[in-house]
Amino acid sequence: MKVSFFETVRYRAPQPLPAEWPVPAGAYDRDAGAEAYQGMIERLQYVEELGFDWVSVSEHHYSPRILTPSPIVSAAYIAARLTRINIALLGPIVPHSNPVRIAEELAMLDNLAQGRLVVGLLRGTSNEAMTYDLNPQEARERTDEGMELILKAWTEPQPFGWQGRYFQYRTVSIWPRPLREPHPPTYALGTSRESCEFAAQHHLGCGVSYGPFEVMGKATTYYREQCARHGWQPSPDHIIYRANMLVAETDEDAHAQLRERPGTTPFAMRAGVRDAVAALDARNIAGEARPANVTGVLPTTFVGSPDTVVEQVRRCKEVVGAGVLDLSLHPPGSGDLDSLMRALELFGKKVLPRIRDI
Amino acid sequence: MALSNQQPGSSFREGWVDADGFRIRYMESGQGAPLVHLHGAGGLRLTFAHDLLSRRHRVVAFEMPGFGQSPENTKTQSMRELAATMGRAIGTLGLDTFNLMGASFGGKTALWLALEAPERVRALVLEAPAAIRQPGAASPSGSPEEIARALYAHPERLTDLPLPDPAIRAKTQPLVQRLRGPDRDAELEPRLRGLATPTLVLFGTLDRVIAPAMGRVYRELMPNCHLVFVYDAGHVISTDRPEAFAEVTLDFLDRHEAFVISRAETLIHP
Repeated sequence: MKVSFFETVRYRAPQPLPAEWPVPAGAYDRDAGAEAYQGMIERLQYVEELGFDWVSVSEHHYSPRILTPSPIVSAAYIAARLTRINIALLGPIVPHSNPVRIAEELAMLDNLAQGRLVVGLLRGTSNEAMTYDLNPQEARERTDEGMELILKAWTEPQPFGWQGRYFQYRTVSIWPRPLREPHPPTYALGTSRESCEFAAQHHLGCGVSYGPFEVMGKATTYYREQCARHGWQPSPDHIIYRANMLVAETDEDAHAQLRERPGTTPFAMRAGVRDAVAALDARNIAGEARPANVTGVLPTTFVGSPDTVVEQVRRCKEVVGAGVLDLSLHPPGSGDLDSLMRALELFGKKVLPRIRDI
Repeated sequence: MALSNQQPGSSFREGWVDADGFRIRYMESGQGAPLVHLHGAGGLRLTFAHDLLSRRHRVVAFEMPGFGQSPENTKTQSMRELAATMGRAIGTLGLDTFNLMGASFGGKTALWLALEAPERVRALVLEAPAAIRQPGAASPSGSPEEIARALYAHPERLTDLPLPDPAIRAKTQPLVQRLRGPDRDAELEPRLRGLATPTLVLFGTLDRVIAPAMGRVYRELMPNCHLVFVYDAGHVISTDRPEAFAEVTLDFLDRHEAFVISRAETLIHP
């Protein structure tokens, strides 16, 4: 089992903040921001010491909850400051941008990080559509086309044009190319039928997140079936499970802490917006329709003492089949760094060594 | 680019020419610079792409001897010979110089025509050309449904799935097999290095007949060649994504290599 630490920067607001997304930029405190980014590097040095295999960064905008609007900038900086750990971008929100530029930047990063890069490509959460005025109804198709264009940009040796539905270019020829051939380890993130099929067709890994093991297992089973249809078998390393984990000294402590956590996301969309987005943003798990998560609150699927969590990891491996766990040990948006560090130490010393062989 | 609800090709008028002892049928529509089209092994079929192209060009789509309802062609022995016949057929319409578009099998015909008469061909558009093929590439075969499924990216979405006529196919297959040549043609490829005609090579990303990776070989060999992938299109790009196909083809015919300079208008509000 490989373990990845999901880094969210941890901005600690000196004053209470407005509770709605997008959070006014004027509420940003420059000292708090500087401290957060500095603290990130110190924390990651500890994460690397504890023996985590990867550190992961995501892409989120317009709020202090996760202060990484550009995962590429985060990854480049982390790659320069930490020299051993792998760096996973989970990942660039493909429909937002220029897929050719994503391909170029990731190729640069693969070279700069000297082969320590892992790439996850995704459609993005519902609120993220509003970051750059993306029509949520176009998001799925833009993601599929964008992912294919990224792969083509990485692998086509001759300059080429692209007549897409949502992207059009006349002459693409990226320099540098990725360090790894054909490209860095790449995952299509998401439980949908579309992302599982895309991953299977293009020999990519599959990343699922936050849901209960049985539900995630539906997606990973579907992914494996599609891989078989395309003539190959994925290894456990081809499957990432991103999850919330709450590990404490005892099961009682863990459940007590879980009860104390807020049931709502710190920066929610305005209700009218939230409801409208939910109506427009169709999602599915291996083809079964599911509503978009617009509340922003995500379940915690590993809860308990180190012994309990080790058993849960074992069960997860059986049901979900993931060979990589990408873990958030404390809610993003919480300013309580002491709890985070305690959880990190407890996990690193009492759980991590025991799950390596699962 | 909006398409009407009419049948594709409804504005095209039938005509006939004689060349090399063959009576050769063609379909024509539109005004402007001539654009000659040479079809693939499945024969002449007009698509919405032809309609779009005919808005800016005089499109002449030939039915090559031995295809369609024409008698079996046991006379033509090579693709170079077929190209010469077509060159004469085009000449009888008074077209000294013209743009030339070829699909699949017809793409190889078009290349030979351009090689033998480069002064006549202003620009070449090759739709999934069959001149350079991956090892073991085969013409689609099997039942009409199986053939159709191999040709199109999403056959289940086509309301009017064009099914090949088995009788016509039986007649044309020997001709196609005789003329298609090897997967890699040692007679043709070296000559491509000297063909300066502005050339656009198009491949659908879902082409299941000829691997889109073959497109790069044309670009490597030819001095003024441009490779464009049409996303989510199969082997018959002009059926799967007619608007995308027509847009880049029209721009390339208009501007040749300068087509890399965008003319798209992105101003949202003045």
